[in-house]
Amino acid sequence: MRVVLAEDLYLLRDGLSRMLTAHGFDVVAAVETGPELLAALLELRPDVAVVDVRLPPTQTDEGLQAALAARREVPGLPVLVLSQHVEQLYARELLADGTGGVGYLLKDRVFNAEQFVDAVRRVAGGGMAMDPDVIAKLLARSSRDAPVARLTSREREVLELMAEGRSNSAIGQRLFLSESAVGKHTASIFGKLDLSPSDDDNRRVLAVLAYLQRQG
Amino acid sequence: MTTRAVRAAGLALLHGVALAGLGLAGAVSLLVHLAFFVPGFGLGLIFLLPLPILAGRHLTNLVRRLAGDGSGSGDGSGMPLGSPYRPRPGPPQPEADGRYPHDNRLYRRPWVPAFLRLMDWLLGDPASYRDLGWMITTPLVGTLLGGLPVALVAAGGWYAASNASRHWWAVPAGLAAAVAGLAVAPWLRTLHLRWTRWWLGPTQRQPGRLRVWYAHQLLLLLRLLSLLGLSLAALPLAALSAVALLLTYGVGIVVVLPPVIQNIRWLPELRRRLAGQWSGVTVDSPYLPRPEVPQRRPDGRYQVGNHLYQTERWAAYGLRLRWLTRDRASWRDFGWLLLDPVVGGLSLAAPLGAIGYGIFGLAMPRLWMLVGLRADGGTDWYGSVAGSDAAAIPVGLALAALGLLAAPAVLRFNGRWAALLLAPTAKSRLALRVQRLTETRADATESQAAELRRIERDLHDGAQARLVAMGINLGNVEYLLDRDPQAARALLAEARQASAKALTELRDLVRGIHPPVLAERGLADAVRALALDTTVRTEVTVELPGRPEPPIESAAYFAVSELLTNAVKHARAARITVHLGYADGRLRIVVADDGRGGADEARGSGLHGISRRLGTFDGVVDLSSPPGGPTTVILEVPCALSSPRTSIS
Repeated sequence: MRVVLAEDLYLLRDGLSRMLTAHGFDVVAAVETGPELLAALLELRPDVAVVDVRLPPTQTDEGLQAALAARREVPGLPVLVLSQHVEQLYARELLADGTGGVGYLLKDRVFNAEQFVDAVRRVAGGGMAMDPDVIAKLLARSSRDAPVARLTSREREVLELMAEGRSNSAIGQRLFLSESAVGKHTASIFGKLDLSPSDDDNRRVLAVLAYLQRQG
Repeated sequence: MTTRAVRAAGLALLHGVALAGLGLAGAVSLLVHLAFFVPGFGLGLIFLLPLPILAGRHLTNLVRRLAGDGSGSGDGSGMPLGSPYRPRPGPPQPEADGRYPHDNRLYRRPWVPAFLRLMDWLLGDPASYRDLGWMITTPLVGTLLGGLPVALVAAGGWYAASNASRHWWAVPAGLAAAVAGLAVAPWLRTLHLRWTRWWLGPTQRQPGRLRVWYAHQLLLLLRLLSLLGLSLAALPLAALSAVALLLTYGVGIVVVLPPVIQNIRWLPELRRRLAGQWSGVTVDSPYLPRPEVPQRRPDGRYQVGNHLYQTERWAAYGLRLRWLTRDRASWRDFGWLLLDPVVGGLSLAAPLGAIGYGIFGLAMPRLWMLVGLRADGGTDWYGSVAGSDAAAIPVGLALAALGLLAAPAVLRFNGRWAALLLAPTAKSRLALRVQRLTETRADATESQAAELRRIERDLHDGAQARLVAMGINLGNVEYLLDRDPQAARALLAEARQASAKALTELRDLVRGIHPPVLAERGLADAVRALALDTTVRTEVTVELPGRPEPPIESAAYFAVSELLTNAVKHARAARITVHLGYADGRLRIVVADDGRGGADEARGSGLHGISRRLGTFDGVVDLSSPPGGPTTVILEVPCALSSPRTSIS
């Protein structure tokens, strides 16, 4: 799997590059700045890009802007955005085009290599990887509204993991439930939130995220 | 003529007598009004104003009730007239802290706002002025309409009785006059009723243009009159000042000076306010703020200027003397008190005199002479101009018109005259500015130092401590790696957790110092991000053509953050709106919520903090938060905007 990596700090770039290589990825480019990133994404068309939000030369959200620009050129280009802080504002912008292949995680999540690599794979496959912090904030806002408040605590747990972009089997593993039990919970959640159920994991996640953001 | 008709006529006659009597009572009431209004408006003794108005209402209410009695006229107009007055305001309600609000002030005791409410109620009611109009006209019109029938009957009877022996036709003529009086009585009564209703009945009439013009002129004259009263009030204060100055610099009794200086300031302050309200000339208060007593020196004494004082009390006394006498505004006040009775007084008296003399000195006496009320002019003073009687009326009217025309200009001149001596000089403006800058600079450096202390403490107790713990842990891992790999693994997991915690703490700390989204996107998006993180529905509208300077962005961001927290926590709002705008070189932020209100800058340290933080940039906070809501906070900071950032894509 071909990866483009954008990170301006040498130590982090090197560490990420090594970790991805160790897990069988092919890091085709590791760049430092926003313009370099945009050029690499459009030229190399990688299977997935791992991008730091803040990049030179302006040290603002240049990584995010480059990723969004590339996705406008190449719809659905998988991008996993990393940051020292997560903002719902950025999550909305990443999700705005309604296509999958988007990830947005705190840099801390890299500490757990297995989960991080899993997230990169999910994004590369057109799926989602949303940081638990983003989901928690979304739920905090939505939980004042009646439909979300009606969910049982178990259903909430399932909803959180689902919104992070995990599959039924992954959710089952996390919560020590059978896959069919998770399926029942998701069906119930969709019923309570008045969303049309979908077998496609990806579309399901987008529907849930769109719902939660609408509540905000 | 049936007995019924005679009875009706007789009743109408009696009614007429009562009405005529009320007309005279109206005249008495008018005199009472004048006795209170002249000092009330002229000398500013406003506490005198409500008394006659309230008392007069007893009379007018009696007239309204009487208008309904003796309804034998059969014209269906015998209903008592409804009350035209606005409902009396209730007692003032205290706020949560026990103080009473009125307009833009809080009062500790209820009676001041209660009195002000009473004044607003009485003086703001058009019915009060129509009552006055009735009192002015009723001695003539009311008495005439009510008394004419009785007078006819009485005069007819008397004429018939006294002249019956001399002329044979005296009896029929007297009887005819009496019958005529009886006959016109019901008709005049109806007329009187209509006239009374016109003045005293409830009305929804829109004032005509003439009335508006008339009210405007009247207001103008009242203002000139009040200012004249205040100019004259300056005389005793000027005398007082002169005595104080004489005692101080002539005899050496310094003690009298500071209280005199401080206690005459109310008049110049009042005139500054009136110059703004009436003359449209803004005059700021020029007084330097009272300084604080200096710190005790190492030798235990207090230094004020070049003087050293042993005790704090004398130091405070010396400081007060120095503060008041060194303030140029004090001396300009003295000068103004001396000059205003002359300059202000004469300029105000000129148009008032022209109007007064034109109407009451020339036109009216001449009119009276024409109808024969006065046989001769007596002196040249009344009713004639340079010996010519014919010129009196046109010249008198022209003089009054000239006075009216000049009145607005005189009012404006009065404001400028006040500004000339009462406005702060460039020097005192500068002094006030320096004072303000000193205060805000002290605030800024102090809060900056506090901020740095907080960061130091957070780092010291948080991330720094965790890194030390991690180092120790990793040392242990190194030691255990060969001996007990299981334990080493557990310690490694612990170290990883500790590093995650340290990162979270650092992230929170960074957010508190300078939020990353502010650095990356600027104020507008940072506020949008804040709104998204607020648990209450928050709408953000932005009309910013560019970005303010980073320090102002930061201050504004933290202010909005604090306000949103307040709205959620204290006001329990369900909906918040934030607007960012820029106009006239000022960044303007409006945060409004639909919560329960009752926020108070004096009590909420959060609002005070915002005020201080923005004060560094000459920004101001305007809070409106009545109990029960809604709360609106407006932040304004003068600043320049940089051109918008060009997109990199």
